[in-house]
Amino acid sequence: MGKTVLIVDDSNTMRKIVSRSLRQAGIDFDEILEAGDGQEALDVLAANSVDVVLSDINMPNMTGLEFLKAKSEDDAIKDIPVIMISTETGADIIDEAKSYGAKGAIKKPFTPDLINETLGPLL
Amino acid sequence: MKYAQDIAAATQEIFSSMVMLDVTPEEPFKRVDSTLSKSISGIIGLAGTIKGMLAIHLPHEAALAVTTAFLGMDVEEIDEDVCDAVGELANMLGGNMKAIFDPNGGDVQLSMPSTVHGEEYAVDCLADAELVTVPFSFNGQTFMVELQISESN
Repeated sequence: MGKTVLIVDDSNTMRKIVSRSLRQAGIDFDEILEAGDGQEALDVLAANSVDVVLSDINMPNMTGLEFLKAKSEDDAIKDIPVIMISTETGADIIDEAKSYGAKGAIKKPFTPDLINETLGPLL
Repeated sequence: MKYAQDIAAATQEIFSSMVMLDVTPEEPFKRVDSTLSKSISGIIGLAGTIKGMLAIHLPHEAALAVTTAFLGMDVEEIDEDVCDAVGELANMLGGNMKAIFDPNGGDVQLSMPSTVHGEEYAVDCLADAELVTVPFSFNGQTFMVELQISESN
């Protein structure tokens, strides 16, 4: 069965760039799902089988950290791995993300190689 | 000028790795006239021990060229895609500069990015802010990255 990734970012541009970088990194997903904020991401996870999530932090409505916290409290989805992709990767924010179960963080700007290094071990 | 080299380095890194464009920094200056013509600006606010804003100002033609390169598809008018792309550039620039202002985190907060565009408009911030503007060139086009900040201890 093929793998599915969920890309969460309020920027349509950035969702396209992340999708392109996954292809450039040689990571071949059968399905790429998208969400524009944390709440949309929770809705997508409730309705689909997702193998890994790549999520921004700084988003309107529900931030990446709020999404992680809500996800960690839902037994049905709490074990789906999440990598944060954000302009903000200060130690305080990453520590908080990891406390809610994030498996790693990628700082924007990023390269396909960095995506591969971070995401590869989770697949 | 303070932070000019940091702005140049951050902008070059973002454009080379994400937009796939090599941009060349020119001599930094203090922009006195805040009016911009036929341009689009991506703006991100800074709050905390550093207050102010960071902005990227692109003439319409440069914005179309940058968005075309960023998205890998032809863009011919200033539309939602261009606004989103320019906002995301401001967001990444803000994140890079925040890491310089606040390496340990917790002292500086970033706003969500916003964009403004039009035939003629002004972008201004704090009256007592330090100002540095770094112009860039690429493929016969130009744009500016500007920092207006007030620092407190």
